[in-house]
Amino acid sequence: MSEAPKKTKHTGPAPLHGLLAEYETPNALIHGAEKVRNAGFRDWDTFSPFPVHGIDGAMGIKATILPWLILGGGMTGFTLALGFQWWANGVDYPFLISGKPYWSVPANIPITFELTVLFAALTAVFGMLALNKLPQPAHPLDLRDRFSRATDDRFYVLVQASDPAFDERDTRALLEQSGAVFVEEVPEDAASESELPRGILYVLLIIAAASTIPFAMAAYARESKTTKTRFDIIPDMDFQQKFKGQRMNTFFADKRADRPELEGTVAVGELHDDDHLYAGKVNGSFARTFPAAIKIDEATMNRGRERFGIYCTPCHGQVGEGDGMVHQRATSLAEGTWVPPSNITEERVRLIPVGELFNTVTNGVRNMPGYGHQIPAEDRWAIILYVRALQKSRAAELKDLSEQERESLIRGG
Amino acid sequence: MAHGKEVHLEDNIQIGDEASDLGKKALGVGVVAIVLGAVVGGGPFGKQFNASYLVAFMYVLAIGLGFLWFVTIQHLTNAKWSVVVRRVAEIIAANMPVLALLSLPVIIPIALGQSEIYEWSDPSKVVQSPALEHKAGYLSISFFLVRIAFYFGFWSLLSRYFLKQSMDQDTSGKAEINKSLQALSAPSMIAFAITLTFCSIDLLMSIDAEFYSTIFGVYYFAGAVASAYSLLSLSLMWLQGKGRLSHAVNREHYHDLGKMMFAFGVVFWSYIAFSQFMLIWYGDLPEETHWFHDRFNGDWKIVSGALLGCHFVIPFFGLLSRHVKRNRKTLAFWAFWILIVEFVDLYWLVMPTLSKDEIPFHIADILCWIGTVGIFIGAAAMRMKGKNLVPTKDPRLADSLAFLNP
Repeated sequence: MSEAPKKTKHTGPAPLHGLLAEYETPNALIHGAEKVRNAGFRDWDTFSPFPVHGIDGAMGIKATILPWLILGGGMTGFTLALGFQWWANGVDYPFLISGKPYWSVPANIPITFELTVLFAALTAVFGMLALNKLPQPAHPLDLRDRFSRATDDRFYVLVQASDPAFDERDTRALLEQSGAVFVEEVPEDAASESELPRGILYVLLIIAAASTIPFAMAAYARESKTTKTRFDIIPDMDFQQKFKGQRMNTFFADKRADRPELEGTVAVGELHDDDHLYAGKVNGSFARTFPAAIKIDEATMNRGRERFGIYCTPCHGQVGEGDGMVHQRATSLAEGTWVPPSNITEERVRLIPVGELFNTVTNGVRNMPGYGHQIPAEDRWAIILYVRALQKSRAAELKDLSEQERESLIRGG
Repeated sequence: MAHGKEVHLEDNIQIGDEASDLGKKALGVGVVAIVLGAVVGGGPFGKQFNASYLVAFMYVLAIGLGFLWFVTIQHLTNAKWSVVVRRVAEIIAANMPVLALLSLPVIIPIALGQSEIYEWSDPSKVVQSPALEHKAGYLSISFFLVRIAFYFGFWSLLSRYFLKQSMDQDTSGKAEINKSLQALSAPSMIAFAITLTFCSIDLLMSIDAEFYSTIFGVYYFAGAVASAYSLLSLSLMWLQGKGRLSHAVNREHYHDLGKMMFAFGVVFWSYIAFSQFMLIWYGDLPEETHWFHDRFNGDWKIVSGALLGCHFVIPFFGLLSRHVKRNRKTLAFWAFWILIVEFVDLYWLVMPTLSKDEIPFHIADILCWIGTVGIFIGAAAMRMKGKNLVPTKDPRLADSLAFLNP
């Protein structure tokens, strides 16, 4: 670099940029900086290979406004994240997720937190660069050989000639007295461009323009109609080498992709040849007794009560009177098509044989869907047992009570 | 840079009768307040006294554990900035045996099976609850007592050892002590994390034995560390007000203590509190949500909202600026603030389980708080008397004295 200036736009010597003073230790630099500060200079700076504690005070630098910018960045991220989630899910496209409110703040906090941090961090990085006027493509100091030691083991003060207090002779004397081991003149850099090279500028402009394309496409897609199908980004996921149901497969004689069950096939454990247990029928008519496989005991009763609570109470209510939550809701909405659920404790139902009740639970009746596919047969019988108990509780006579219960009833009454 | 440099301290680094005077007064007030609290709270086995005392005890235990953690992490990381403030922290952390003594009003009712707060200690209540029966193996009185003895034994030994070794260095000046304490603090930190977690589960979370949250210990830890940094700042200010450590501790050290108050008392606490809340809210399992349901309904709604505002929003903006942390008066204000909201936080952890819908405020709450804090501060002040308040021969002392924030 010592042969610079290679190419000068002006003839004659380059004008003076400033004076550079070199120091050997961080303490000498601080001492020198204090001298320059006290002399009242404004256009000057210090350079060191690492951050030197106390240099801010020695240079008289005021506290940076960067923290305020970062706070502003963080609050912008916070507002943007929360606002966008509110707008997207609460206003523009209300979408019910797991029964939560459309705008559910707890679920929004993680994204809000992340964007707050992201905006604060980006503001810190780019704010630091901007406040330091970086990047700076060229600087007159780049042409000074000695100055390369600023990245190694020497410390520098540069006083610029543009400062009103600058006087070449006096300033040189000041720097020499301040403990500098070497002072030299720094000419202006007439050779390098002071602006960003055109090439880089164009690339940046193209990137900026290109970055708007996805947004433009999204906006266009929102506002336009098309007859084209969507394009496949990952074709082998969209078109997989397999046959789906209801499609053609020429491999088989009937050319159907889905294969019918073979006649007489029974899955393991699904034989269900006990009509009493699985259909509630004995010799073709509804059974009046429980099947032998069902034990009539307290465990079965408790099981039935629990299953009844899960499957039956929504419509039939806690004690089976047909006043469950679904019924109440349907009635309050005044749905004309609603068929009220039966009161299973009334006499009509009490007289139905258990086998027929079992059949109703299994296959449904009127509006009631069948539960055969989701409640195992043993549990269905347990429910019937519990239903019988409910019915009995509603039609009990005094003679059904024990001696004790009778007495307490009389005393209580 | 200035490693191992001979340091000449001009400050007055010892305190005598002023500390013991404060200590005697605080101990006297503390004992009287606890006795009064027991009288108005229905005797040593009264439910009101037991509940009030539990909150107050967990509060001072948190402070003590925070100090012990502070000492341990400084040794573990070979920290330089904190050397001038570490001795005061070591002296206060050595309160662990005092805390073991203070735990007796909590432990004895459980040991005698007369606690009305810990349902798991009552066999007649255990048989009514499948969850309690399931946990009976862990939550049994004898196993509980063994664990408590282990926690306090470990903490007492560790805190005393740190103080003793550090004091020995004042006379011997051996630099190897730093190395050996650093080696000790690594396994101790792991043991500390485990003991603190389980202690908070045993003493706080088990009140509502059907509730469980794996992050509960971390929640308690966040408050513990925040209140320890706050009390450490206030202790140093008190000592400086008495003309001690006038130059050794400067605004650079307060700035760092303030950063930690902000980091733990505001940000970390909120992060953990929200993490605990969000997972339970999202998971929506009844055995977990009832805990928050108790706290988000009735009058407790106000306290929960106040915690959000006073433990996060207000101090976040209040303590954010470096100017606030570098100014002794503003830092003192926020230190008191954190110490007060910590108490509210612990009250909020304990009381809603015992009284749903209504805030069961009772004068015993305040008396127990004054009592345990009085005894805690009194014991620490008595111990301070006649000791060097700075580790004078720690090789890192010069670095700590010259420490500057960037």
